[in-house]
Amino acid sequence: MQNLVDGILTGSYISLAAIGLTLVMHILRFANFSHAELLSVGAYAALVFDKAFAAVFPIAATKLAPLSLTLALLAAIVVSMAFTGATAILIDRLVFRRVRDKGNELSMVFASFGMALVMRNLIALGFGLHSQLYSRDIAFAVILSRDPLILVKPDQVFVLGAALVLMAALHLVLTRTTFGFALRAVAENPALAQVNGVDLGRMIAATWVIAGMLAAAAGVFYGLSYQLIPIMGRDLVLPVFAATIVGGIGSVYGAVLGGFIVGIASNLALLVLPSGYSPAVPFLLILAVLILRPNGLFGEARA
Amino acid sequence: MPVTTKTRAGLTLGLALGLGALAPAAVAQDCTTKIGAVLPTSVDWGRPIAEVAQFAVDQVNEAGGAAGCKIEMVLRDTQVDPKVGVDAAKALVDLEGVKLLLGAVSSGVSMPILTSVTVPAGVPQFSCCSSSTAFTKLAEEGKTNGLWFRTFATTAVQSAVAAKVARDKGYKTVAVLYKNDDWGQDMARLIAADFAAVGVEVVANVAINDAQPSYRAEVTEALAAQPEALYLALYPVEGTSAVREWISLGGTQNMIVANSLKSDEFRDNVGLQYLGNTLGTDTASPRSDSADAFRTRYVERFGSEPNGPGLANSYDATMIALLAMEAAGPDASGADIAAAVPRVTDPAGTRVSADAAGFAAAKEVLAGGGTVMYDGGTGNVRFDANGDVSAPAVVWSFAEGGIDEVEYLSLDDVNGFIASLR
Repeated sequence: MQNLVDGILTGSYISLAAIGLTLVMHILRFANFSHAELLSVGAYAALVFDKAFAAVFPIAATKLAPLSLTLALLAAIVVSMAFTGATAILIDRLVFRRVRDKGNELSMVFASFGMALVMRNLIALGFGLHSQLYSRDIAFAVILSRDPLILVKPDQVFVLGAALVLMAALHLVLTRTTFGFALRAVAENPALAQVNGVDLGRMIAATWVIAGMLAAAAGVFYGLSYQLIPIMGRDLVLPVFAATIVGGIGSVYGAVLGGFIVGIASNLALLVLPSGYSPAVPFLLILAVLILRPNGLFGEARA
Repeated sequence: MPVTTKTRAGLTLGLALGLGALAPAAVAQDCTTKIGAVLPTSVDWGRPIAEVAQFAVDQVNEAGGAAGCKIEMVLRDTQVDPKVGVDAAKALVDLEGVKLLLGAVSSGVSMPILTSVTVPAGVPQFSCCSSSTAFTKLAEEGKTNGLWFRTFATTAVQSAVAAKVARDKGYKTVAVLYKNDDWGQDMARLIAADFAAVGVEVVANVAINDAQPSYRAEVTEALAAQPEALYLALYPVEGTSAVREWISLGGTQNMIVANSLKSDEFRDNVGLQYLGNTLGTDTASPRSDSADAFRTRYVERFGSEPNGPGLANSYDATMIALLAMEAAGPDASGADIAAAVPRVTDPAGTRVSADAAGFAAAKEVLAGGGTVMYDGGTGNVRFDANGDVSAPAVVWSFAEGGIDEVEYLSLDDVNGFIASLR
């Protein structure tokens, strides 16, 4: 039971990151290996803004019990989402757009590998290789039930709630607004969408903003639960890709489900596998899904 | 005119050098025995290890050489690469015909040299710094032919001290979190045996992999066993993450940690308030006169404190190797030299110091058929049947300003305790 609950809680930030990745992969048509680095950017940006806000408004630095979260950090999350969205556009303008104009899909993949290394090392240069925390205090877990024993950290419940709110908001945007229709049209068929008056450049930028914002939130949520290290992107890239592939590339709902599946599977795996083998679980999931449903659970074959 | 001056200066220098080399040689015999050294001289911490070995050779030559001849140490670089190390060792053994081999530093380099060069050639190998227990296993299987010696304590010392801490604290059940690499697996295996020997039950043994986004599941698994204490063989990055998770889930704050977590980063990020019941283990340099004497001589020779890793160990490895060569006598085979090691590290023998005077004294005792106890930079070195040595240890705790020493265990304490475990 505990492993199941843990899996759902872990799944929430993987889902958020996977949504962004699946959108980028679908609309821009390339596997972006630097996506997980946006999580690092968001997490570290929030760390900086959190410190800044707490310094300017000391009152905001008090904890919102029982969470280890402060008002300053909440505000920092919002600013960091905007910052990371902007960073994503900037990277696209500086690197990906140029490669897109000249190279093919494979060049884009290689470019994204390079970007991932550059971003990771820039963060390491700026913040050092050691781990950092939003709050040094340890937030103690609350006992939900004694038999079976289920422990939950208040922060993680907040993370799950916030992730669900963000997903719901995205769902509304995609299904209820003209912008959402336009975005989905571009994803379906860019040429046809342009014929119908959709501005492709704006849609690409919008995709990056959404991906960056969700990645920032996921990064902060991850940092809140664990710790910030410059190589967190490297550690997260595999679970996020697994979630995207399991869910089916291009499917937002698939990505959400995929995130939770990956989270739950890697937590439950320990019940049957020795812990030394747990890093293999995302790979096994990808393999299983690719063999059974080559386009992912929700994915559709695309010409 | 300047050219002539230079030539004359060069001539004078050459003459002086020639005379300098000749003078002591005339006192001793007029021959040279080559010994080999394969050390990572191309890395910054490897060069001092080689220099201190040469320093030991110089001391021996000052005392007239070993086994009737001057000693020449032929040094080759390993580049911390097993392939390069094996090639270098092969060249030394086959082409230079060395009688014994010093090195290497890394276990991963020493091992292939031992199995593919020194053991087949019957040349004894003395390593200053390899700590893997794989050598112990190899020796137990009888595959080293008694040719392997090292002056660096294995991880077994730390594991035994951790068992002592658990016993002294009265813990009955312990969960172990270990790093899933060679070192961590080694520690986990040793610690399980040592805990069992002192009557502490290991209720969970969980591997922690590098670079995982979360250790929640691993920690939950260890927690489910409800141990009284936690043993950690982890590095700071994953250690911080795992321990914070452990404490937040209400796990016990009774912890025993390996020396890898002796870090400010770990202390600060977990929080000193949660580390009050944490004790760490580490090996220590001996607090003996001979260790101080080595320190003084090192400072005299090199002008700095011997703070790098493996310096006293390298010096002692070289000294013991040459003492054994002396004890084995002229024209001894490699096996003879290896067999003579107990004669120079005999706890009942005459104590000799680790310098030229000590070597000269040892020569006399050995010539008279006696045995000596070498007392060097790492104390009075004593090899067990597998060529392993033990080391003094410390138990430490985290404190405001850094690390506090809780208990110092002398070499005898450690040896006594390890013996009581078997």
